[in-house]
Amino acid sequence: MSTPGETAGETVESAREMLPDNSFLIQYPHVSRVVRSLFLTAFVAFGIGAFMGVLQALHRTGIARIVASSDYYTLLTLHGVLLVIVFTIFFLAGVFTWANTRSLDRPPVSKRFTWFWVVTMSVGSAMAGIAILAGLIPSIGMSADVLFTFYAPLQAHPLFYIGLAVFIIGTWLAGIDWFRQYLAWRGENTGERIPLQSFMVLTTMLMWFIATMGVAVEVVVFLIPWSLGIVPAPNPLLTRTLFWFFGHPVVYFWLMPAYLLWYTVLPKIAGGRLFSDPLARVVFVLFLLLSTPVGIHHQYVDPGIAEGFKFIAMTNTMFLLLPSLLTAFTVVASIEHGARQRGGTGYFGWLKALPWRDPAFTGMTLAGLMFAAGGFSGMINAGMNINYLVHNTIWVPGHFHLTVGTAVALTFMAASYWLVPRITGRELYSRPIGLFQVVLWFVGMVFMSAAMHRGGLAGIPRRTAEPQYPQVTFETVAGSVGSLRLQLAFGGVLLFVSALLFLVNVGLTAMNNEPARGLDSALPPALSGPEQSPTVLDNLKLWALIAVVLVILAYSLPLYSIVQGAGLYPPGQEATPAVLAPLLEVIA
Amino acid sequence: MTATEAEAETDSAVVGEDVYADGTLVRDPEIEESLSQDEYDPKGTLALLLVYFLILGLMWTYMYFVEFLGNGPTVVG
Ligand code: HEM
Ligand SMILES: [Cu+2]
Repeated sequence: MSTPGETAGETVESAREMLPDNSFLIQYPHVSRVVRSLFLTAFVAFGIGAFMGVLQALHRTGIARIVASSDYYTLLTLHGVLLVIVFTIFFLAGVFTWANTRSLDRPPVSKRFTWFWVVTMSVGSAMAGIAILAGLIPSIGMSADVLFTFYAPLQAHPLFYIGLAVFIIGTWLAGIDWFRQYLAWRGENTGERIPLQSFMVLTTMLMWFIATMGVAVEVVVFLIPWSLGIVPAPNPLLTRTLFWFFGHPVVYFWLMPAYLLWYTVLPKIAGGRLFSDPLARVVFVLFLLLSTPVGIHHQYVDPGIAEGFKFIAMTNTMFLLLPSLLTAFTVVASIEHGARQRGGTGYFGWLKALPWRDPAFTGMTLAGLMFAAGGFSGMINAGMNINYLVHNTIWVPGHFHLTVGTAVALTFMAASYWLVPRITGRELYSRPIGLFQVVLWFVGMVFMSAAMHRGGLAGIPRRTAEPQYPQVTFETVAGSVGSLRLQLAFGGVLLFVSALLFLVNVGLTAMNNEPARGLDSALPPALSGPEQSPTVLDNLKLWALIAVVLVILAYSLPLYSIVQGAGLYPPGQEATPAVLAPLLEVIA
Repeated sequence: MTATEAEAETDSAVVGEDVYADGTLVRDPEIEESLSQDEYDPKGTLALLLVYFLILGLMWTYMYFVEFLGNGPTVVG
């Protein structure tokens, strides 16, 4: 229970006294502080990232070009890195810290260790962020315009790569912290099933440990020494393959916390119960097994990888649809359960009985709906043949603004309306603004993403500051390219406004002196509980082992043939702008 | 005013059959009607998913025939 000495000084004591004893903030004031600090970083990154987003949307459509086109990649790198590395991962670290503590009903083992990884992650992000931003000021002579897919031959300043490495180490330490917390619980609860939220955190982190091996090797063995000018330029195909070894599972790293919220928090808000606890466990195990051995599906057009390996990646990818379809069923059925408990009837009539005025509910549900649409374009991307139609077009950003840009980002925003009062003890500043904001995000994304998909089908490229060429006319199926550009920019502006409203609402909540009401973080039990599932589901060692075997099967031959093909450092590639090279020349 | 979740805690302090391994158990006071697993048949979910699969099928067919087979190479230059 609460010890007065533990309470964070900055919070208004009188407001806190009015909170119930069993609220998360009172039980775990220190953990709440950790979560607050992680969320703060996430939201700052989100704000800057969203600003870059609207700049890009206006720039590439030719509506307003505020920066020089030669700086476009700096903005795009900042947008990608801040949103999909910093915003998502800091937020999910907060969610996992909360969820693991709540469901194990005990704080992390060591406060020092927890702050240590928070600081490590923050320092790493700051280093990478500074390296990117410096690109806007040529006189500094530092840049990192390599986009969030940071493989060779584009080269960044070493500070960027070192920052990334430090950041990744921070996430590993976070995972270790959550495992230690679990082991401490296990020591006192032998023979018990792992609480569901903790199970989700642990399986996700196991997947993350495996996935980040690829990026760790890429960054530490190749990119850092190369950017320092110590080794020649590495084989681009090798660094691409190592990047995508990590680049696909990272999408599940973003998604799993959203799933955690959909499975455990959403049914409660809907007034129902999770349909099936065992099914949820199966889904997370499937993600652990299948997330990594599929990365080659991002390389369908890469020469140098045999078609057979691509085919295997495609097959694995199609299997990976299964857990998402299982999720669609389980989550919708849990919401429907809530609707029926609230008196809803009929095949579709039950939809009216849901708490649509709650921004947390509506936001998460709209996010789920967008994910269903993203499932469609994802299936197109995943097909080896039809992928050629859309590869490297603006269709692809259209796809992932539905998935990470909405299914994940909107879920995080919506969940914040539920979670931020629980970790600050302050009442949400405004529900109506929250509701408006989540709907606005949805509408903005319908415009932006649909225009991106259709533009992609017309062949408009992604990652291009000025995709307007006098000698090329893009042919759309319906509507003109001009109208698509307007829709893209209009959607982008709506999204930016929505992001601002979110940040203001959360900011005012953090300063709100009204104590939050109804803070119990307990979650209703599943309709079908864990006792109905085989205990082997909780055998994390077994699943981790199988996951590693699958990765070895999927990657050893492709990696071997890439290295055999062009070698580690193929001749004829220059390392520019290498930092230490001039220095080394002087010494030699 | 509706009761807060926290006030409902007394109600749920009764350990029933529906306890999680972490011991949490909540019954929302706003819910009069409680549906157990046997009484609940997610037919609305089935209906929604069928609609989704129908849309998926139609969109895929559209993509394949109109966009893929119906077009020459789109990027020229
Ligand atoms: C204010 C909202 C947003 C706007 C207006 C926006 C706009 C854009 C645009 C126009 C592009 C394409 C640029 C190009 O290819 O030339 C883009 C790329 C991208 N966006 Fe967003 N976006 C927004 C939010 C988000 C969010 C929330 C995420 C993820 C959490 C995200 C992740 C990305 C990523 C990863 C890229 C690809 C960057 C690259 O190609 O390297 N965006 N965004
Ligand atoms: Cu992928």
